[in-house]
Amino acid sequence: MALESRYDAIVAGAGHNGLTAAAYMARAGMNVLVVEKNGWIGGAAVSRSLHEGWTYSNCSYVCSLLRREIARDLDLPKYGLQVIPYEGGASFTRDGDHFAYYSDHNALRREMARHSARDADAYRAYSQAIMRQCRFIRPFLLRDAPDPASLRPRDLGELAYLVKKAHGLGSRELGETLKFWTMSIGDFLDEHFENGLIKAHLAGSGIIGTGLGVYSPGTAYVLLHHYMGDIDGGIGAWGFARGGMGAISNAIAASFKDHGGTIHTGAGVEKILSKDGRVQGVALEDGKVFYAPVVASNMDIKRTIQHHVDTTDLPHDFTKAVNNFKIRGSSAKLNISLDQFPDFPAAPEHTSFLRGDMHVSESLFELERAYDDWKDGRWSEKPYIDMLIPSQIDPTMAPTGAHMMTVFVQYAPYDLNVDGTRSADNWTDAQRNAMADTVLNQISVACPDIRDRVVHMEVRSPLEIEREVGLTEGNIFQGELTFDQLFFNRPVPGWSQYSLPIKGLYLCGSSAHPGGGVMGAPGANAARAILRHETRHGRMKGYAA
Amino acid sequence: MSNFDAIVVGGGINGLVAGAVLGRKGKKVCIIERADRFGGMASYAVDGGPSLAHALYNLSPRALKDAGIDVDRATFTGQQIDTVSLADDGNHIVFKANGVYWNDGSQHPQSKAWCELIQRFKTYGGLLRQLAEAPPPGGHSASLSRARLAEMLRLAKVGIGLKMLGKSEMRRFLQVVLSNVYDIVLDDLPDGPVAGMLAADAIRGAATGPRSPGTVFNLIYRLGHGGTITQPTGGMTAVVDTLVDGAKAADCTLLPGTEVSRILVDLDAVTGVQTADGQTLRAPLVLSNLASPLTSQLTGPSLFDIEATRRIRNIRARGTAAKVNLRLKDASPLPGLKSEQKDARLIYAPSADYVEAAFNPAKYREMSKAPVIEALRTEQPDGSHWVSAIVQYAPSDLDGGWTQEAQDRLAQITVDTLDCALPGLREQITDTQVITPDQIATATGAPGGHWHHAEMSLDQLLTLRPANGISRYAFGPKGLFLCGAATHPGGDVMGLAGRNAALMALEVQK
Ligand SMILES: Cc1cc2nc3c(=O)[nH]c(=O)nc-3n(C[C@H](O)[C@H](O)[C@H](O)COP(=O)(O)OP(=O)(O)OC[C@H]3O[C@@H](n4cnc5c(N)ncnc54)[C@H](O)[C@@H]3O)c2cc1C
Ligand SMILES: Cc1cc2nc3c(=O)[nH]c(=O)nc-3n(C[C@H](O)[C@H](O)[C@H](O)COP(=O)(O)OP(=O)(O)OC[C@H]3O[C@@H](n4cnc5c(N)ncnc54)[C@H](O)[C@@H]3O)c2cc1C
Repeated sequence: MALESRYDAIVAGAGHNGLTAAAYMARAGMNVLVVEKNGWIGGAAVSRSLHEGWTYSNCSYVCSLLRREIARDLDLPKYGLQVIPYEGGASFTRDGDHFAYYSDHNALRREMARHSARDADAYRAYSQAIMRQCRFIRPFLLRDAPDPASLRPRDLGELAYLVKKAHGLGSRELGETLKFWTMSIGDFLDEHFENGLIKAHLAGSGIIGTGLGVYSPGTAYVLLHHYMGDIDGGIGAWGFARGGMGAISNAIAASFKDHGGTIHTGAGVEKILSKDGRVQGVALEDGKVFYAPVVASNMDIKRTIQHHVDTTDLPHDFTKAVNNFKIRGSSAKLNISLDQFPDFPAAPEHTSFLRGDMHVSESLFELERAYDDWKDGRWSEKPYIDMLIPSQIDPTMAPTGAHMMTVFVQYAPYDLNVDGTRSADNWTDAQRNAMADTVLNQISVACPDIRDRVVHMEVRSPLEIEREVGLTEGNIFQGELTFDQLFFNRPVPGWSQYSLPIKGLYLCGSSAHPGGGVMGAPGANAARAILRHETRHGRMKGYAA
Repeated sequence: MSNFDAIVVGGGINGLVAGAVLGRKGKKVCIIERADRFGGMASYAVDGGPSLAHALYNLSPRALKDAGIDVDRATFTGQQIDTVSLADDGNHIVFKANGVYWNDGSQHPQSKAWCELIQRFKTYGGLLRQLAEAPPPGGHSASLSRARLAEMLRLAKVGIGLKMLGKSEMRRFLQVVLSNVYDIVLDDLPDGPVAGMLAADAIRGAATGPRSPGTVFNLIYRLGHGGTITQPTGGMTAVVDTLVDGAKAADCTLLPGTEVSRILVDLDAVTGVQTADGQTLRAPLVLSNLASPLTSQLTGPSLFDIEATRRIRNIRARGTAAKVNLRLKDASPLPGLKSEQKDARLIYAPSADYVEAAFNPAKYREMSKAPVIEALRTEQPDGSHWVSAIVQYAPSDLDGGWTQEAQDRLAQITVDTLDCALPGLREQITDTQVITPDQIATATGAPGGHWHHAEMSLDQLLTLRPANGISRYAFGPKGLFLCGAATHPGGDVMGLAGRNAALMALEVQK
């Protein structure tokens, strides 16, 4: 498609949030260009074929958080998005036992009782508490975070909404909510359960992607970040996007293009141009320059500000806050092509749980120690792994009879500590392989024959994640999800509503409220802010966002 | 059988203040203390050694005033002391009110950054103090009672305080209070002893490490009364004596050496207490200086529904601070310290990373092999000289229990650590006392021997302190109130919890 030199808006980065923002703007009649540094789109929601015949969801691998309002507004099913829910999961132990997590209530109860009768009884109260918190938080995802220091009617309105929602809970429930938001997942689970394996199984979601341990306050909220999604109305359910996570980005892109949008890949933004405090457009690495009165950056806040804008005229407080933004890499990823389905000796025959998420952590202490290793700059000796074999459900991911395995690894540092020196440069091939070896050892707790099954393996340390997706330090959420970086504090105090101190410059990626995950909410919210501030007609009429 | 208007169970700092406040409002009050002396954790000591608490930094003038005690008493003003961060190479760093200095008196390069940080935290501390000086928000059902109005005004005042900070500072405040001390400090300082000192102050008495979100709050809490640290004249015993005098002046009846064995309840209202020696004392109002689990044991658990029982059970209180007292052979100065540093508060926390690493073992019920220490040189009334050291982390639930062997190990680690920075100290020590959190728990009733009776984490503060639904001092049956460190705003030798509880009890009784 022929490129023009002038657009109504330019989106820097074709991650799913950038594409979402672009698609909403295009639907509102704006002429929008998306520019992407990679030769492909999707950012961390991407499918790539690195070994003939297999498809990897290289970064994100399961879907739940994508707001259904967005899927509806952008007609994503029409553009090919199909999410297939998976059920269940399991945690395997070194002594050959396992805890299976079934979606069927009776089966789950029986399995829990096998480990602890008390915990089987406690599960109901636990899941009700989680559901209540999910129900409370969901309406806020597609709204702006109010600025508590502002007296503008919009902020007061949002604040009033918050107060009303909070008030609606009643004082007892409000207290429980405040407590939940500020406590650790470890303490929360200790309050409900006694069995270490059950607790370890449930705790994982509280630490995925964070530089926190299971006993760090605030991790109960992170857990929520993994439960507040839904598939077809099944709250908290997770699924595979058919064709890998890239299918989500591709559907959004198709929707965008269908409404006149343009995507230019293969050349990154070198500089976001501005003059007299007003954005002008972007200059790309390949020398091309595009102009627009609005630029929305899908890059994280640190990358956007530190590398691509002229900071001389920015307020000092702002740049300082951005420099201090915590965006620590803590996760690694293995994507594995398997010649056939591996053997899980501990699993009963014909069980469904092998189609779900599998882990090998046995206690909260083990998970906490994994965090201590990371604090020291080493990958965990016994990392938490979140392992799935999506090709069982989605046959497009691997050749017939063969399989594809995705293994998320927590924790791995960005600035690896070798002999007391911490640096990302320490991630040599040898180190990466050594880490992969550690992870394979973990996997072999569940399937001892794993090493014999590997046909091809992609190993990504936080450094590779940074290099490819541009996620600073490889932080999967474009910034830690701690209280001091959430809601009105995200990404930095005073700038939580998508606009940035350069007029016409917006943030539309996961660094913005409500944060990371394949959710689309930051992109949709940013589009809403842009349309309100930058266009005459103003609103995203008829859309939920 | 005697009759009172109010009975206070426990004569710790907060019990004494609560009693005095009630007495001054004309109530006939009896304060019953199990131990032979008053003061609870603050003054607890063994065999003539130093008391558990050794420094004053958070004593509330507001609480003292309401207890009828002169704030400017010499006991309290005592001697203001500097802080010295000990270094193994002898290059100690001195923190004074106006800056940070090297041992040789020259200014430390991080002095300015430290002063700015402390100043900012003090400003925030002042705001939080306004919240500390009243019951936590929420809880009134009546639509617009006078109390409700007063509360709204108070909150508005904090709101105005926030607004006066200016928009950007206010936003910053809302970020900083929710943050962890490690990140906030290292944003402005390189890691080293200056950062280490702030990290150490933020985790003292807590079962958290500096990287745990919420730890900045603890540091701000400490600075709520200006941050000046004094070693009280006559020691903590003198402070407690002054509070005891205050209670007496308010016509309280004091019963030391008497254990309360039951809180009597009839038809869902308290009627008095029974003591272990068989006395029954009647009163329609009972304030308990004990934490909620013990208090509910005294009333009998049947008075609390399942929900309340669950919440009480889930209150976290893992003590992590042990006391190690080192008896010195004579009055000679500590090796490696200058004469003007002889009374200083000594901190061993060479970096924030060190403090976090010290915390790691405590998570797994082990003691720190390289601990964080706060030490003061003290002289006891009998003329003996001591180093009074608070050592972290020494978890109350130590794996294997606090056997003699474990206690010896803690003493050893403490002496080794201090001797590295103060070479020759070992030779001056003639005797060692170890007081572990579980001993503190047994002696004073504090759950887990916890400094604040309940962890001061964000999920156990304000309306959630000690637990959701029981944050406004009233506890279970009519006429029963909590008044100890587990309630809002928390512990330290401060007195606000006792004072707030007494005022709330009066308010509710009206
Ligand atoms: C290993 C891993 C596993 C994950 N697992 C899950 C999961 O299972 N489920 C889930 O919901 N979430 C998961 N996440 C999180 C989720 O994928 C991300 O939070 C989300 O995809 C981020 O989307 P985004 O659009 O905000 O940003 P990104 O996807 O980071 O998009 C940014 C885009 O900007 C581009 N870019 C960067 N620099 C430039 C430049 N200079 N010029 C032009 N373009 C540029 C990048 O190439 C990229 O395409 C995972 C993340 C990772 C890394
Ligand atoms: C090792 C250590 C060092 C400390 N150092 C300092 C310091 O330097 N500076 C500082 O400000 N704070 C310090 N603190 C904290 C401070 O001492 C406490 O927060 C504060 O003293 C708590 O006071 P309280 O009145 O709420 O409770 P407590 O002091 O625990 O009072 C409770 C009282 O109830 C009594 N009691 C218990 N059961 C019964 C019963 N059945 N009948 C009658 N009476 C009963 C107990 O004997 C006790 O006197 C320290 C704490 C510890 C653990």
